[in-house]
Amino acid sequence: MASSQTHSLHTKEAVIDLFDHFREELDEQNDRRERLIKSSRDITNLSKRCIFLLHRVATEDTKEDLETRALRAAKQGWGKLRDIQRIFASMKCELEGDLYWRHQKSVSPGLQEYIEALSFAHYLEHETLISYQAVQQTLCDEAGTPYFPLTISDYLLGLSDLTGELMRYAISAISRKGGRAKASDICAFVRHCKADFEGMCPRVRGLSKKQSVTNQSLQKIEDAAYTIAVRSSEYDLPSDILDDIVARSISGYDNSHSNYDRKPERWRDRDGSGDEDEYY
Amino acid sequence: MDPQDLEFINDSLDRDVELREKIKEEVGELDRKTRSMVGLLNKIHSTPQDKIPPLVDSVRPGLQDLQTTTTAIYELIPPDQFWRWKEMWSNSMRNAVFCATLMEYLTSGTLMSLASASAALGIREEWKNRFTLPAEDYLHGLITLVNELSRLAVNAVTLGNYEEPIRISKFVKDLFAGFSMLNLKNDTLRRRFDSLKYDIKKIEEVVYDVSLRKLAHPA
Repeated sequence: MASSQTHSLHTKEAVIDLFDHFREELDEQNDRRERLIKSSRDITNLSKRCIFLLHRVATEDTKEDLETRALRAAKQGWGKLRDIQRIFASMKCELEGDLYWRHQKSVSPGLQEYIEALSFAHYLEHETLISYQAVQQTLCDEAGTPYFPLTISDYLLGLSDLTGELMRYAISAISRKGGRAKASDICAFVRHCKADFEGMCPRVRGLSKKQSVTNQSLQKIEDAAYTIAVRSSEYDLPSDILDDIVARSISGYDNSHSNYDRKPERWRDRDGSGDEDEYY
Repeated sequence: MDPQDLEFINDSLDRDVELREKIKEEVGELDRKTRSMVGLLNKIHSTPQDKIPPLVDSVRPGLQDLQTTTTAIYELIPPDQFWRWKEMWSNSMRNAVFCATLMEYLTSGTLMSLASASAALGIREEWKNRFTLPAEDYLHGLITLVNELSRLAVNAVTLGNYEEPIRISKFVKDLFAGFSMLNLKNDTLRRRFDSLKYDIKKIEEVVYDVSLRKLAHPA
């Protein structure tokens, strides 16, 4: 009990003084929390739009091949992602030092959605999984100082959602020229992701739930690939003619499979404003 | 995923698991120590007033002993990560605050400030981003204190101490006035604060009973 601060409080005024201080502190933290939740929601929204954009551009009906469209989608996506990065930059001062961990739960939903969009753009461009370091790099200022430390858990949970986007992409692309090869690449890629994440499940809260969604996505790609394989076996034709046949056979695919579960609903909505979403 | 990325992630996850285990061990220790203090302090309800000081003195070494555990936890927590792990020990710390503030009340009849409570638990100012006593946990401890004092008001009268309820009533009212100043959000602290009025009512009834029968002779 050395300093005056550490004395006991004898009068009512002293008690009130103490609580006055608590009020200031609690209000400050609550206000900060509200601001961060708001930013996080903005980020979620922008990230969803970015994902829609990526799907839209990557599966546009043009004469170009899928690769060119994917690259163009990624390029446009990067523009959107930079807007989101600016929001993260503006949150930096609210997340300094021990504040990040204090408010981590408020920031995490937006951050995961951002990682989903970022990793999708990255996949379209490079056909690889974006690394942890590369994600953290996008959340740094020009001097390379991180806005806040990226957690492994947010990184993995964000990536887990990528598999769902890839499923949608694979199924949309399958009817396009070169789409069957693309779908089979994606299928292999998603299988790989699933295998990598499996061992991490017990150590990352919430990952096993996402892993089962990944599983469903994988199954949908496999089912689509199966349909194509069965139908194409009936014809002994060069692949570009087959592409045309596939385009016809797949045109009814969206509808027949959209009641599968909730996921394809969101996919069908991708050009609309589908706000009712499981991420809220 | 690249093999080296995979390795990096697996290593990081392993480190976290290991750290969590180590913290868990210390938190178990903290819990054991605070529970035994709470157990000892429970005797205030059956201890006559003149035997209270020796009872409190017998608990003091326990409070002192907590410092080794808070220090051990502090040493495990990486810089800036206090809030990442604090859920693991909040409950124990709230009980520890309850013990420290109850002991202070029994000794001097006054409220122990957050700063004194931190000091009593061996928490240092310079540990700030690794181990600290947040206002929320201190306030939770105070609510437990009020819960306990409303029982003490009843039991003190049973033991023939008629002045105690009046002292408690004054102390708790000041505290309640303090709590009323806070803008609490809808969380457990808020719900527990809402329940304080029942404790106050109980204390009031005891005060009413003893005053009505002119049992108390306040100085």
